[in-house]
Amino acid sequence: MLEINNLTARIGDAEILRGLSLSVKAGEVHAIMGPNGSGKSTLAQVIAGHQDYVVTGGTATFNGKNLLDLEPEERAREGVFLGFQYPVEIPGVNNAYLLKAAVNARRQHQGLGEIDAFEFLKLAREKMAMLGMDTKFLNRGVNEGFSGGEKKRNEILQMAMLEPKLAILDETDSGLDIDALKAVAEGVNSLRKPDRAIVLVTHYQRLLDYISPDFVHVLSEGRIIRSGDRTLALELEEKGYDWLREAANG
Amino acid sequence: MKPAMLSIDSLKSAVLRLPDDVLSATRAAALANLDEHGLPTVQHEDWKYTDLRPAIDISNRWLADGAARPTGGDLSEAIVSVTGSIDADWLVIANGAIDMSHFNSSPGIEIERFSESAAPFVMDRPLADLNAALLQDGLRVQVHAATEKPLGLLIIDDANSGAAVTQVNVEIMVAPGCDVEIVEYQTSSGRDDHYANSVVTLDIGEAAHTGYVRIQERRIGHVQTGRLSVSVGKDARFAMASYDLGGGLVRNDVDIDLGAKGADLVCNGLYLASDGQHIDNHIRIDHRVGPASSSQEFRGILNGRCRCVWNGKAIVHKGADGTDAKQANHNLLLSDNAEIDAKPELEIYADDVKCSHGTTVGQLDEAALFYLRSRGLGRHEAIQALTRAFAADLVGRAPVSAAKTAIAALVDARLAELTLERTS
Repeated sequence: MLEINNLTARIGDAEILRGLSLSVKAGEVHAIMGPNGSGKSTLAQVIAGHQDYVVTGGTATFNGKNLLDLEPEERAREGVFLGFQYPVEIPGVNNAYLLKAAVNARRQHQGLGEIDAFEFLKLAREKMAMLGMDTKFLNRGVNEGFSGGEKKRNEILQMAMLEPKLAILDETDSGLDIDALKAVAEGVNSLRKPDRAIVLVTHYQRLLDYISPDFVHVLSEGRIIRSGDRTLALELEEKGYDWLREAANG
Repeated sequence: MKPAMLSIDSLKSAVLRLPDDVLSATRAAALANLDEHGLPTVQHEDWKYTDLRPAIDISNRWLADGAARPTGGDLSEAIVSVTGSIDADWLVIANGAIDMSHFNSSPGIEIERFSESAAPFVMDRPLADLNAALLQDGLRVQVHAATEKPLGLLIIDDANSGAAVTQVNVEIMVAPGCDVEIVEYQTSSGRDDHYANSVVTLDIGEAAHTGYVRIQERRIGHVQTGRLSVSVGKDARFAMASYDLGGGLVRNDVDIDLGAKGADLVCNGLYLASDGQHIDNHIRIDHRVGPASSSQEFRGILNGRCRCVWNGKAIVHKGADGTDAKQANHNLLLSDNAEIDAKPELEIYADDVKCSHGTTVGQLDEAALFYLRSRGLGRHEAIQALTRAFAADLVGRAPVSAAKTAIAALVDARLAELTLERTS
């Protein structure tokens, strides 16, 4: 589904990704871990198409299409979803409006008609109930005045409504208390499907207690320096990242 | 560059050709004032950012041509499209001529024509003098009781009618204790040359409440100067909001006199401008006694090569203690070629006052734009959503509720078009 080969990218003058390769197949859950500044968030933003990151080399394809040629909205319509580490507050843009516009953009791309108002509301209510979200959030400005946990739930709500093929969740666990973390993790787990891939970008292994990944990768200085199964995350929890970096450099 | 001058000689002969009537003395007095002072140039502080040259050029050409009255053009469809969009009792002034056929008389409202009664009061201001010098008629509206529907004032021009210059003058008096809502709607179509000059005088009686909405969607390229002079009585409330969506050169002068205790004023405005537009909102609020409050909030969204001006002046006169005056102006610039000249102004001669002002000029929030696009919204749709959000509050607070839906639709349509030509 997602094939990244020897990808290099920079922001401003700083080279962040330095030859990153990653292969993600449908139905898989991957966790990308690594110390601060290793390039985890950059990878997520590059896949989503953020204009501030310049790809300087390598390739990234999504179901055979060159991802790097596509505008951010085209990637979204193809089925790529980024759950933001810091969801943006957009006062004045209604949450329901965004959800509906997003769902319709995807549907139009798939050659389907617009979702009708009743159907939309029913779907939104259902997904919000699953995430333990009050429906009053539909009529608020996008993330406006939301707490950290509410913002992250709102990201998962968008994911649930959009039903992406590939979801990249950037530090979805950061800033969450244990109840919010459980709710978010349950939401993500309920969205695991054979035809959907999920990439969890996380600093701590805490989230992986609730969402069990098939693969764990360690990112350091813009490259994946170790890949393994879920036991690698436990090993990292115990030993930290330094032993791997030393091994990689030595 | 030599400032453009209004040709007083041609103006004089045009005025002399008008029939002798109840307005003759007023025209002569206004002409004498104009002869003495002329029209303002950019040398005047109040006109520093707005050059009246296009208005003067159109006027001079029209005067040289014999100051033609409208001969052709049919505005009936355009009139119905406006009167059908807002449920109001409409007074229509089409190509400068009064048309009462869209007005359903209401027991609380009394209307007379200047030509059949008396001349209006003329403020000693150059554009009001120009208006009075060429005035052939006008409306005096007295509101004695609350009306079921808002009072609509549609000023509509078709430049193809042959009349390149139109003067409109309306006086409205709101009786003490009376609640009324008023919609002023200015629009135009036709070939390039058109200049509309309007004067609306509003007198709000003691403890009366007036909501006033001003919608301006003239053809881009047309010139409009509009004066709104308001006096607010004791314990009266005046809430207004203007929506400037079209026009080439537009200058709005809003003068509000708070001459009695307990007056409460809200003066808001939204201006949306793109290539070829120049929209200038000059507000002057006189706090003569206290306590009284005034609050201004103007917002602008600018794209392409255009210029907007906001000058919000509040003068707190000596002894006007207990004045509360707020001014805010926020601008969103979508292009490097858009210019806003924002000038909050407070002149305070009283001791016990609360005054504040704030101005911001910003660009689209790129993080918000990326967030929306990452959810599948196209760039244009995302920009529309963000600009609509910027304008939404002022649309929602339109002080005439019957006009809100129409305003929202007009603003949406204008934003859809304006955001398309985003250059940088």
